[in-house]
Amino acid sequence: MPDRHIVVCMKVTPKPEEIQVDPETMLIQREQARSEINPPDMNAIELGLQLKDQANGKLSIVSMGPPFFEPLLRVGLAMGADALYLLSDRSFAGADTLATTYVLAAAIQKLGDVDLVVCGEESSDGATGQVPAGLAEWLHWPLLSLAISATFEEENSLFVTRESHGRSLVRGPLPAVLSVKSAANQPRFMDYDLKPWAFDQAPMTIWGPDELGTDEARVGLQGSPTAVTGLREADVRDRRREMLQGSLEEIGSRLVEILDPYLRS
Amino acid sequence: MSRKKSRLELPEGYRADQAGQGIWVYLEHRDGEFASVSLELLGKGRKLADQAGVELSGLLLGDSVETLGESAISFGADEVCVIEDPRLAAFNLEAFSDLVCQAVQEGKPGVLLLGATHDGRDLAGRLAVRLQTGLNADCTELVLDPARGVLISEVTGFGGGIIALLECPDRRPQMSTVRPGVFPLPERNPARKGRVLRIATNITDEIFATTVLEKEERHTVDLTQADTLVCGGRGMDGDFDSLRELASVLGGDVGGTRPPVDDGYIERERQIGQTGVVCHPKVALCLGISGAFHFVVGIEQADLVIAVNSDPEAPIFEYADYGIVADVHDFIPALLGAFESYRERAHA
Amino acid sequence: MTEELKTFTLNDDLWQELLELTDGAAAPCFQCGVCTAICPWGDARPDGFSVRGILRAAQLGELGELESLWLCSGCLQCEASCPRGVEISGVIQSLRYLLWRRRSSLHNLPSVLWSCYWNNNPLGQPPSARMDWAVDLNLPDFDPSQHEWLFYVGCTASYDRRAQEVARAAVRVLRAAGVSFGVLGLDEPCCGESVLRLGHRPFFEDMARKALAIFDQREVKHLVALSPHCYDMFAHEYPQLGAEFDVQHITRFVADLLEQGRLHLHAGDPVRVTFHDPCLLGRGNGEYEAPRTILKNTPGLEFAPMQPEGEDGLCCGGGGGRMYLETPPGERFGDTRVRQAQASGASVLATACPLCIACLEDSMKVLGGEPMSVLDVVEIAARHLEPA
Repeated sequence: MPDRHIVVCMKVTPKPEEIQVDPETMLIQREQARSEINPPDMNAIELGLQLKDQANGKLSIVSMGPPFFEPLLRVGLAMGADALYLLSDRSFAGADTLATTYVLAAAIQKLGDVDLVVCGEESSDGATGQVPAGLAEWLHWPLLSLAISATFEEENSLFVTRESHGRSLVRGPLPAVLSVKSAANQPRFMDYDLKPWAFDQAPMTIWGPDELGTDEARVGLQGSPTAVTGLREADVRDRRREMLQGSLEEIGSRLVEILDPYLRS
Repeated sequence: MSRKKSRLELPEGYRADQAGQGIWVYLEHRDGEFASVSLELLGKGRKLADQAGVELSGLLLGDSVETLGESAISFGADEVCVIEDPRLAAFNLEAFSDLVCQAVQEGKPGVLLLGATHDGRDLAGRLAVRLQTGLNADCTELVLDPARGVLISEVTGFGGGIIALLECPDRRPQMSTVRPGVFPLPERNPARKGRVLRIATNITDEIFATTVLEKEERHTVDLTQADTLVCGGRGMDGDFDSLRELASVLGGDVGGTRPPVDDGYIERERQIGQTGVVCHPKVALCLGISGAFHFVVGIEQADLVIAVNSDPEAPIFEYADYGIVADVHDFIPALLGAFESYRERAHA
Repeated sequence: MTEELKTFTLNDDLWQELLELTDGAAAPCFQCGVCTAICPWGDARPDGFSVRGILRAAQLGELGELESLWLCSGCLQCEASCPRGVEISGVIQSLRYLLWRRRSSLHNLPSVLWSCYWNNNPLGQPPSARMDWAVDLNLPDFDPSQHEWLFYVGCTASYDRRAQEVARAAVRVLRAAGVSFGVLGLDEPCCGESVLRLGHRPFFEDMARKALAIFDQREVKHLVALSPHCYDMFAHEYPQLGAEFDVQHITRFVADLLEQGRLHLHAGDPVRVTFHDPCLLGRGNGEYEAPRTILKNTPGLEFAPMQPEGEDGLCCGGGGGRMYLETPPGERFGDTRVRQAQASGASVLATACPLCIACLEDSMKVLGGEPMSVLDVVEIAARHLEPA
């Protein structure tokens, strides 16, 4: 098997239950919330590592974000990734998915020898689920989404088992982008033999607009065609705990009403 | 020092002053029927189009979809643009992205709506970049500002804890994927008149980048990926047949707590909880389950939890959105009956 | 008749690895087999469980059958009987690290460690919800200048709704006795016991060092723990990492309050009570008296010991990380223990550990026979406080 370069795109996200909105400024208050690696990205890096093990490959983590991401991204190195790239600059802030995927794609293009990009299905903050497809489009690569497992086959192919309305086995040419279905696998715990290197010695490469050659009109807030015009906290975040009353017939009809939107696709 | 520019191609898109006024809906279908969400979007799209005084068009790709196209008219479309080819019988992301983009570049709609399904999400994601426009994902409401011709989308984030309003003031089309089930299904009006147009597009084999090798509808037991879970506990007294029936009606899967697994009523792979499977379904129906902590950790991430238990003090009710104090053996037939009536009314 | 000689080649590297992992703890074992004879798995499993075999494999530098390493519930019956004082349970725990290193046979256990890493608890619960159990209790934030004791609640009692009742009962008892105490609240660090028992000592030590830094910074000098599992960590592991605070289990604390006359329990309905000794409280820390003192000082309670009890008591099956692993029916220690409790004729099965409560209540639900309430001794005490 030829050597492969796999890139995993990762994001550090706040714990969703700890986010609040300042009712006066209408801004998200993020500072007091604990951070974690976006949980679906843990499934992505696990699949990336499985592929790395399979193919004797190299795995690089690429993340767009501010410097405080660093200690959390290094967890990925301790899991088995080989290199870490942080795409960071003040001008990158406030990006919607178009501007975000543009910067990520610029980094992958700069790396030059990438065979596969692996992403989580969505992020726990924005939850748009658009980054994998948008990234694939910038790169002009195919997207194999909702993967639960994958193998390198033949010369330049990837066989992917997808989970979407049933299970299917799909073949795609490399290079490609993969998105991993949330909870599709059990992310491996950190390797403590790697930990000292991962947290204290491994270099982290930081790329900004100069290194990436990005157009300043296309990044960050400036490069985002969508704008937020209103923001508030949802009313109910806890379980409703509503006890339904009445005859079983009445309850049955009420439940059908309640269930209907959830069952449609 | 000259700064090396990124070689990423920047596709041409179009802006508000270059756009048409139409509202387009991407119509998703399977086995000769529209996806529920596509009909919901025709319904909502019709209301928005009427409000703005513009036309509603459907975009339909597939093989032998003429009848579907006409059906879309009866659900509210003024026009349905059809791209037909035997190779389009099944969804293929790269091919469909290419073809939809060709159609959009040609027709230049002001708004393009898609269902936030797996395929819809991927398609919208590629299109938005190719068209260099904004995309609002999994919207729970759409409002038109007729003065500015701007669509305002409501989305949730941070696990549903935050609600945001988004706009795409300048670029076109304004794209939104919409959460299934948010908008009501429209009434069908067979007398409605409209146009079904066949669009000529450039279809080559090359645009189909990936190949489906195998496909199965019923897969091996993997409850972690189930959208709807019907879970039974000791209170079921072993009657898992009725749970299987209920799961089938709901299009979901069956899980259980430890006691019925121990007793052999369902397989160990279907045990839910701390020592079994932790699930993330949209719906978890818990029947005859008391609600011990080590079970609850298996379903607490569900969007909607409904619990039925004959004991009003059962701890499960604290973890549920809706609770029913009842004998499960009476409850299940009542619920099945309610679904049957509902389906009969829907097909009438 | 000739038999083929089986040869066995020692792997020096593996021998070295096992020696380091166990810190040579398997060396004193002279293979008498008492551990295997006394291990409760001998009755529970058709093939039993060769504890002796695991020790032998460790001595030789052989791996043996790795999957069976997960069976040990840390009940310490083997250690209590071992004529050489081998820390058998500790050896098994150390060998589990092999599974982490080789990433084999780990089941769903990585998620338990990740939960500790990201959420400060092994139960996958949000860190911001750690104090939900006390939302209406107005618990004071621990202040060293005001509070003598830190009440350390632990993850299970903070998040498991059944165990939360024990925590609330403990608060009522402490307040009734006028104890000066505070809690660390959302800053309370997970003690890391689950991680240590599941065999990941390095990660446990990271957690413990962080916890110690918090205890230091908050100037904690005296800690009272609700769970024997947390207590065991603070009593045995933390001092080796530099901890200087002293620690009591809540049963000793409450027994002392009774003996000092600071707490009075009043008669309730007459009831017969039996007691299940939590392994980590009893064999692990020699504490058999304190919970019995509490029960015997509760007027109206008739104490009926179950057999076996005390040092010979059977494990509930929940320790050693087994709360995260499934046990097939017919092999559950908890089922046997409940039958032993029922045989005592008592209507209340008392214990002093949130994991024991979970296991025993689970077994109680499934088995037929005389229904018994499972209660923590602290809950029993709380029900006999002076009426407000």
